[in-house]
Amino acid sequence: MAFEYELAAILVVVLIVLAIGLAFSIGANDETCAPLAAAGTLKFKFVLIIGGAAIAFGTIFLSEGVASLVGQKILGSGIRYTVFMLLAVLISAIIWLIIGSFAGIPLSSTHSLIGSIFGVVIVYAIFSGGVNLGMAFNWEKLGGVILSWFLSPLFGLLGTYLLYKIIDKLYLSKKKGLNEIERSEKNFAWALLFAIIFAEIWVGANSAEALGILYALYSNGYLTIVGYYFFVVICALIAFLGLFIAGRYVIRNLASQLTDARPSDGFIIQLASAIILMFCTVVFSVPISHSHVIVFCIIGMNLAKKKEVDYGKLGKMFIFWILTFPVAAILAGLIYFGFISFGMI
Amino acid sequence: MVEITDLTKKELKKLRIDDLTHLFMDTINEQTQKLIDGIEYLTKEDFENFTKNLNHVIETKTELDIKKTFEAKIFKSKLMFSKADRLKVFDKINDIKDIGEFLAHKMLLYKVVFPDEEFKLKLELILKSLRQITMNLVEAVKTIGTDLERAHEICEYIKEERRKMRIEEWDLLERLWNYDMDYLSRTFLYLKELIEGIKMLANHIKKFAEYIQFLATKYFYFK
Repeated sequence: MAFEYELAAILVVVLIVLAIGLAFSIGANDETCAPLAAAGTLKFKFVLIIGGAAIAFGTIFLSEGVASLVGQKILGSGIRYTVFMLLAVLISAIIWLIIGSFAGIPLSSTHSLIGSIFGVVIVYAIFSGGVNLGMAFNWEKLGGVILSWFLSPLFGLLGTYLLYKIIDKLYLSKKKGLNEIERSEKNFAWALLFAIIFAEIWVGANSAEALGILYALYSNGYLTIVGYYFFVVICALIAFLGLFIAGRYVIRNLASQLTDARPSDGFIIQLASAIILMFCTVVFSVPISHSHVIVFCIIGMNLAKKKEVDYGKLGKMFIFWILTFPVAAILAGLIYFGFISFGMI
Repeated sequence: MVEITDLTKKELKKLRIDDLTHLFMDTINEQTQKLIDGIEYLTKEDFENFTKNLNHVIETKTELDIKKTFEAKIFKSKLMFSKADRLKVFDKINDIKDIGEFLAHKMLLYKVVFPDEEFKLKLELILKSLRQITMNLVEAVKTIGTDLERAHEICEYIKEERRKMRIEEWDLLERLWNYDMDYLSRTFLYLKELIEGIKMLANHIKKFAEYIQFLATKYFYFK
């Protein structure tokens, strides 16, 4: 008994460390600030500080809805997370993300996590919990999450398209000369700053991966409420550091490719994606993929400008996006089945 | 219009990037017009004015101060996305000076006597077109900042005029090759080089016009 208690305590520590590591990777992989760095409105260091602070703010103050959904509400009444389930979820999500990185495909950590949760819970329900599959999940919530993954990119595309058309009709198309265009873009660069702060806040608020695990630990009695909020603050600070220390390379690399990009385009894309993230976080409390939304916002912008869209590349991405959920689920299920085989339920 | 001769280095520093570009364009254009005038004097066999004008093109260095001020200014400027393109426009204006100077040096090597009046008349026709496209280019460059659609239109005239000019150039070259003349003679080589020099300058102006059209397409959405 004492051994089991000690093992659980060790695993809780491992899970907290992994959750903190995930928080670091959220900051490190966040490229939201790139258009702002490219616009050159602020010094690069300040761009990183502002972006990191906004993520941290969103994580601390606005993430509870999404975290509670991932950490508790997505499960049915007959299921509670165990530390082994959470460990299998994290291991599977991390493995699939690493595979995605090697394949050069931007995979969604949110999809990986939810897919992994799905796999683990199904295996638990069948092999050890004796739980009716109908009771394993809150199917309404899970369905809502999956539906939001399809709807949020589409709304991002539509929102960007409409926003661009409106701004172009009322403002951009009236600028005739390069000086006037440059002046208006300068104004947009400042507007972009606010759009990016807004977007980063909701990126932080919607990043369910780390906080969902912490909430699961809290809701199952492994963490106290004080402990939970303490680690939320730690995760927020770590996400800030992730962006400041490691994210700078991603942002600088992307920004160097965006020097010709118009701040007005960046503003429209970021604003549209931030609104989608805000709605999903505040109104529906569902975790969505920011990168998927951004990709579709860029497509919306290209369609509005009658620019070409690389459908071949998009198709490849789409296949990986669709595969993420089932592959992560199978992987997590297998890992958890391995745990169960050794009596680690 | 601001005259370079009136401006000190201090005053130049006070000018905006756009003003410096316009001033540079005017200065280079003034030298190009002198070059064209010089070649016209040559057709009239007024060697004194020909030499004077071409030496003016070679010796004038007033544009250097503008260039230095522009480069220092654009490097520090807060322009966001048109910086590289503005630098390229400036560079292309500078190329006109380089080509003009090269042509002037070549033309001064020898004092040619034209084979006949018809050759002179055809050459004057080409020079007239060259003068027109250089003046149009000045207008196009000055319109980039205020009206890209207009700049695009002007560049279309330049390209059209260049097309007409090219036909005249081939006619003139054909005429030159049909003279009963030693192909290694100085007169033949000089006239061939003269036509090719004008061609080089006109081609650069046409390419410049195409670049301005590219900028217009890049920054301005045509309805």
